[in-house]
Amino acid sequence: MIPFLTYPLAMLALATVPALAAIYILRNRYRRKQVSSLLLWRFQVQSKAGGAKVHRLQLPLIFFLELLALLLLVVAATGPHWQLPQSQRPLIVVLDDSFSMRATKDGISAQTSAHDFLEKLFRQQPPPNTRLVLAGTEPRSLGASVKNWREVENLLPQWKCWSPGAAIDSAITLATELGKQQANLLVLTDHKPADEKISNPRLEWRAFGSAQDNFAIVNASRTVFGEQDRCLLEIANFSGGARTTKLLVQTGSNAPQSSVISLGAHENQRLVFNIAFSAPSLHAVLEKDSLAEDNEVQLLPPIRKRVRVQVALTNENSSTLVSRTLEATGLRAAISENPELVIHETDTVTSSNSWSLRWSGDGATNAYTGPFILDNSHPLAAGVALEGIVWAAASATNSPGDVPVILAGNVPLLSVREDVAGRRHLTLNFNPALSTLQNTPDLPIIFFNILQWRIAEMPGLKESNTRLGAEVILKTTGETVTVTQPDGEKKVFPKTGGELALETPVPGIYSVATGVVTNLFSVNAMTADESDLSANATSQWGQWSEDTQRRLEEASAVWIFGLLAAALLATHLYLIASGKGAK
Amino acid sequence: MDAALRQSLRDGEMLGARYALQIPQVAASGIIGSRAGRRAGSSIDFQDYREYQPGDDLRFIDWGIYARTDRLTVKLFREEVTPHLDLILDGSRSMNLEGTIKSTAVAQLAALLATSAANAQCSQAVWLSGEGFQRLPNDTLSPSAWDKLELSSSRTPEQSYEILPPKFRHLGVRVFVSDLLWPGEPVQLLRRLREGAAALFVIQLLARDDATPPEHGNLRVVDSETGIENEIYIDSSSAKQYAENLAQLQQSWSDACRQCGAQMTTLIAEDLESSLGELEAIQLLIPA
Repeated sequence: MIPFLTYPLAMLALATVPALAAIYILRNRYRRKQVSSLLLWRFQVQSKAGGAKVHRLQLPLIFFLELLALLLLVVAATGPHWQLPQSQRPLIVVLDDSFSMRATKDGISAQTSAHDFLEKLFRQQPPPNTRLVLAGTEPRSLGASVKNWREVENLLPQWKCWSPGAAIDSAITLATELGKQQANLLVLTDHKPADEKISNPRLEWRAFGSAQDNFAIVNASRTVFGEQDRCLLEIANFSGGARTTKLLVQTGSNAPQSSVISLGAHENQRLVFNIAFSAPSLHAVLEKDSLAEDNEVQLLPPIRKRVRVQVALTNENSSTLVSRTLEATGLRAAISENPELVIHETDTVTSSNSWSLRWSGDGATNAYTGPFILDNSHPLAAGVALEGIVWAAASATNSPGDVPVILAGNVPLLSVREDVAGRRHLTLNFNPALSTLQNTPDLPIIFFNILQWRIAEMPGLKESNTRLGAEVILKTTGETVTVTQPDGEKKVFPKTGGELALETPVPGIYSVATGVVTNLFSVNAMTADESDLSANATSQWGQWSEDTQRRLEEASAVWIFGLLAAALLATHLYLIASGKGAK
Repeated sequence: MDAALRQSLRDGEMLGARYALQIPQVAASGIIGSRAGRRAGSSIDFQDYREYQPGDDLRFIDWGIYARTDRLTVKLFREEVTPHLDLILDGSRSMNLEGTIKSTAVAQLAALLATSAANAQCSQAVWLSGEGFQRLPNDTLSPSAWDKLELSSSRTPEQSYEILPPKFRHLGVRVFVSDLLWPGEPVQLLRRLREGAAALFVIQLLARDDATPPEHGNLRVVDSETGIENEIYIDSSSAKQYAENLAQLQQSWSDACRQCGAQMTTLIAEDLESSLGELEAIQLLIPA
């Protein structure tokens, strides 16, 4: 049954069929005529013998041509498809793109073995068409269908095996959707499936890995630690027994320091040490093993951003308190020219890019002991407890446009407003003379949050070291950004304001040029699941069933119906032109 | 009788005043009349002498010759005969086809022939088929005096002949007027009509609707004689087939006429006056 209601064109065309029939029926009404004898009509006369007879509808050929053409157009309007038998099913290959595919045994990686297998498959029995799906952290289809091995080879360079994970299940789902339940699926990976009993008759899972011992650096970080940088290296032994490896750590151009790491089966060891903040980079390398990619990390100096703060308070006590608190945060810059934050008591006009903190409430006599209402989702309220404190403040109401972050009842104690230029203006309703807030960690926490928030809004990278596959956030102010990857590939982002999330598809040092400023960040392949090669295997699970070798492929048949209708109309025209239409 | 038919008889009578029936030589025999026969008879025209034979009329002995030669010799005079026309009209309903002037054409043609026969000093009898062949009342008089010319029989002339055959005059000229549109073998009827006749003329009188197939379209055709209806679609193919069937029918009648020594022609009722030349062509009529 054709769902005509879902095809308005077909419905419209179908409505013309009874109209056509009505035209012919009205046209073909019988005129009564007396004739001398039926003798001369003998060729038309039917025998009366045998009782009642059924009269054949007397309609000309052109009626049937028109009717057939209409019906063909009706069917064509429904977008018919038919199923064509194919000798072979199309193939969709799911390629494991995780970096564990780079693990080698006897110098041959799982990726190479899978590549060779795919080539052999194409040489022996090339499928009618093939699609490639990369199973990285997200499944991704590699272009359109390809017909032969040469076209497949053109796509395979995108299979780099640098992903920190392989979402093979998602990739199989995507492949099934792409294949419309008709294609054969081939998974090329290095490990066995989660469920070794594969019920899908069109799925073949082939693994080319091997269970091997492996040491890996699974965590590495370099953070600000006062005037130094604190480094963390976590080394894991993904072996079946206790093993030893050698760790080389080189800081800048200093001589590398070697240490021996001995770990039991599946044990981890964390190494924490400090280095000078001026050290350009830290390079840690483990001894060579089956998977080289997880043996090496590079850690660049963490981003040290400080805020230039101008304290413009007239109240000396308050000014001293603020200065002392700012020093405690460790985020205040030594200089205060071109301030990025101005702390003042009146509505002073600030410079183009500076934020302001208006200190109000001096002289206020209302002391609030709580309960205090905090907007915990706001970055300024992070870590603020306000337990057992007295907060003296003026009993003001919230100004229009101000978003309160901390309130005592309906009295805003800390509120934020954003102006049209994107600058934020904070209001702190606080009288330290009658308060105990300044005697608790909450005041430095609030100031730390203010400076941290200001830093977060400054242009530049948010971090300098990240894991493979993670996104690095870059704050821009409208300049063109050029990112150069470790493999030399350059990506240019046109002038955009706001945040840019930079992808990290390969490990190494990335260069980010924003205007005249160039920043670096390091990407390291650190994924414990990928480094653990103990579950890898070389085998096959599932097999394409013989009965699925033949399949029916859906193909649009609209053109056939259109062609037939055109042929009928041409015949119709010929009959009309030649005067044979009424036959 | 229908007034229209009566008027047609009058028209035919007037039309027939211009023609005379052409009497074939073989028809110059019959009852004593005003035309010279082909045998010796009792007219005043001397023909020949011959020797007396017992039984000869003593009134025709030439006594002068007997006186001179002492031999009995009789004088022979040309026979005077009256030729006869048997006009055979198809009285079936098809001759009174609805929507045509076929019936009036029959009457007009019959009157024309009867008048032309009178012009040729022929006697006449008008036979109308129906429940047997019947003579029209007053058929020996002028056509305008004829009566009961009703074309309403459901029987074909062939069937009528079977029921009651006409009593034709020997060696008369017979003219059969019909549309010839009935199934059957024409030879059988023509042999009967031709038997004992000096000549037989078959005039097929068709309406134009009979001669030409109807326009394209759907028709419910009704047989005028049987009332049988049939729904047919007329297109160029069926029209062609109709024309072929008519030609085939005419050919079969023409062949049968040739076989029986009859002359045949076809007239269209609507063109009757303009097609009288056809009757001259078959040597049925001559200008008076």
